[in-house]
Amino acid sequence: MLVRFWGTRGSLAVAQTAGGIRGKIARALVAAGGRTFSDEAEATTFIDSELDFATAGTYGGATTCIEIEADGDGSYLLCDFGTGAREFGIDAFRRCAAGHARLYNVFMSHLHWDHIGGFPFFGPAFDPGATIVIHSGHPDAEQAFRRQQEEISFPVAFDWLRAKIEFVTLVPGQSYAIGGVEVQVMEQHHSHKSFGYRFTDRNGKTAVFSTDSEHKIESMEGETQVADFFRDADLVICDTMYSLADAVSMKEDWGHSSNIVAIDICHEANARRLALFHHEPVYSDDDIQRMHRESIRYEELTRREEPLEVLCAYDGLEVRL
Amino acid sequence: MNWSEDARDGAIVASPQGKIDESSAQAFGTSLESAVERAAGESARLVVDCSGIAYMSSRGLRALTLAKRKADGAGVKIMLAAPNEVVREILAISRYDKLFGVTDSVAAALAA
Repeated sequence: MLVRFWGTRGSLAVAQTAGGIRGKIARALVAAGGRTFSDEAEATTFIDSELDFATAGTYGGATTCIEIEADGDGSYLLCDFGTGAREFGIDAFRRCAAGHARLYNVFMSHLHWDHIGGFPFFGPAFDPGATIVIHSGHPDAEQAFRRQQEEISFPVAFDWLRAKIEFVTLVPGQSYAIGGVEVQVMEQHHSHKSFGYRFTDRNGKTAVFSTDSEHKIESMEGETQVADFFRDADLVICDTMYSLADAVSMKEDWGHSSNIVAIDICHEANARRLALFHHEPVYSDDDIQRMHRESIRYEELTRREEPLEVLCAYDGLEVRL
Repeated sequence: MNWSEDARDGAIVASPQGKIDESSAQAFGTSLESAVERAAGESARLVVDCSGIAYMSSRGLRALTLAKRKADGAGVKIMLAAPNEVVREILAISRYDKLFGVTDSVAAALAA
């Protein structure tokens, strides 16, 4: 199973600024310490071996969109239609031209704009040979998709899309065979509800997608059920948008969670890897990197028998399970 | 997790011992809230002597928050005292050192 992140930002898509790029270049030049490089390959080796991620790259700014490549029925498996879906769609056209099936099984955590806003720009929706099946725990999913393409909001109406588009409502607690993988659904606490998904392929590899899920301070005992949903997963993708202090104070009831809680639940679940996800749009690359390093340290301080690998999702990250 | 309390210098000093995680957080929270009630009844502050805490997970930290909400409503000030290096790092990583006053010693918390 391969998990590919197309969009990892929460709430609002963001973009690098000229000032941000300038700062990265300056730091790289200082780190080079006057060295010269004979070609781009040499420079790339320096970048990969001596610069930290926040200097050498970026966590990106597209909103939630994750692809799961599994040994299934050959369809695309996608989580959410945030703005990352635009780039995914372009790449899907390339793969379809090489023979990939034009069938998309999509699993929606919920219908807030950062998770559906990429759909009007999703190229395969205009492909008359494509079939897009949108699975959701929300019975009103189709209403949300249609509404964002009403003329007051967008110039291209939903009914002009040429693909065959279907909406399927899934029930939490039930198990489904979709796209050649087993899919389980969990209801989560978020405004208008959200849903987490557990994907298991025929080789037993498991990835869990759990974003926009607030773990309420008044119902911490319920985290045992969340840990059961995450149990022994090869990869858990969690909303880690806020510090724990923010999550219990000024950002309480905003529908998100923290890195600390995600690590604790993954420890309880004996998960193998955690991907920090749904990054706060206000955070710079340095802020996200700092949060990642602190999360790694917290995992070390509270580790049980087996280490939990703590990754930090970025646009373009691929994780092979 | 073991718990003991004593009253001195206008404070209830609570001394939990052990690790505070999902197995002990509920007991920790219950003991904390009882200590808040005792402090409110004696018009005292509550000092949590953290020196005996091996580490604290998010459940323990959030139990502190629930106790603080109760304490704020009762006019009781809560201070965290003498955390070991592990707990001190956890307070910083979680940014809980912005929510609670933290002192190096119980004496400093009593004097604050």
